[in-house]
Amino acid sequence: MQPIRSTVGKYVCGMAACLIIFLAGGWLILAPFALGYQPYGADWVSQTTNDFATGIPVAAVALIGFFLFLGSALNSLRASGLIVAGPQARFSGGISSQAPVTPVPDLEMQQSDLDRTLSTLAAALAADLAARRQASSNQQTGQSIDHMMQRRDV
Amino acid sequence: MSTNDAVRRIIPAGSYVLFLLFLAGIWVAISPFVMTTQPAGQSWLASTVNNVVIGVILIVVALLGIVGYMLFALRDLLREAQARQEVAEQVSQAPADR
Repeated sequence: MQPIRSTVGKYVCGMAACLIIFLAGGWLILAPFALGYQPYGADWVSQTTNDFATGIPVAAVALIGFFLFLGSALNSLRASGLIVAGPQARFSGGISSQAPVTPVPDLEMQQSDLDRTLSTLAAALAADLAARRQASSNQQTGQSIDHMMQRRDV
Repeated sequence: MSTNDAVRRIIPAGSYVLFLLFLAGIWVAISPFVMTTQPAGQSWLASTVNNVVIGVILIVVALLGIVGYMLFALRDLLREAQARQEVAEQVSQAPADR
């Protein structure tokens, strides 16, 4: 399943970057106190204010980016049919409450363009094969009837 | 697939966020010098070293995130294009076999 792995890989790349930057933003907030260049109880020095004012937006924006990449990854997985969209999942009827219920994804909606093209091609090839078989069986039937008629005439 | 769709797949919304963080990294790295909290000609203060290191980390990680995503997305696009081409060739060969 190489294509699916590569599709998720790009989102993992973005999510990892956002997570590292989120941690860096958190460190920017803590650093003035951890490194001791902000004395306890005193007014904040300008570097502390700057680190704080930069660290909070950096951490917040990194979190937003993380969820953007996560949402894209989930959409991609839903589109490829690997995970099921919760509310739209159809359940097969007549199953007892204790039996494991397997949600059936709406394949028509979730198929990618490539899948649809491949299924169209497969249907066309199957129809072609059926038509060929039908033609050859008709030809054989016609030949056998002709053969029988010739024997009767003799 | 149109060019706009391809560009949108290579540069998603998350990449713009990473670019914003790249700019923030530049600011974090240069802020001690811009705000003159680092005296000129003296050895760097602890806050300066911290800001420069964190700023460089932000810049590098944001750039790696953007470029890494682009490379993965380009690879996916190329694979899809190859698969489409193979399907098109098979479809064009199917009537010729009859």
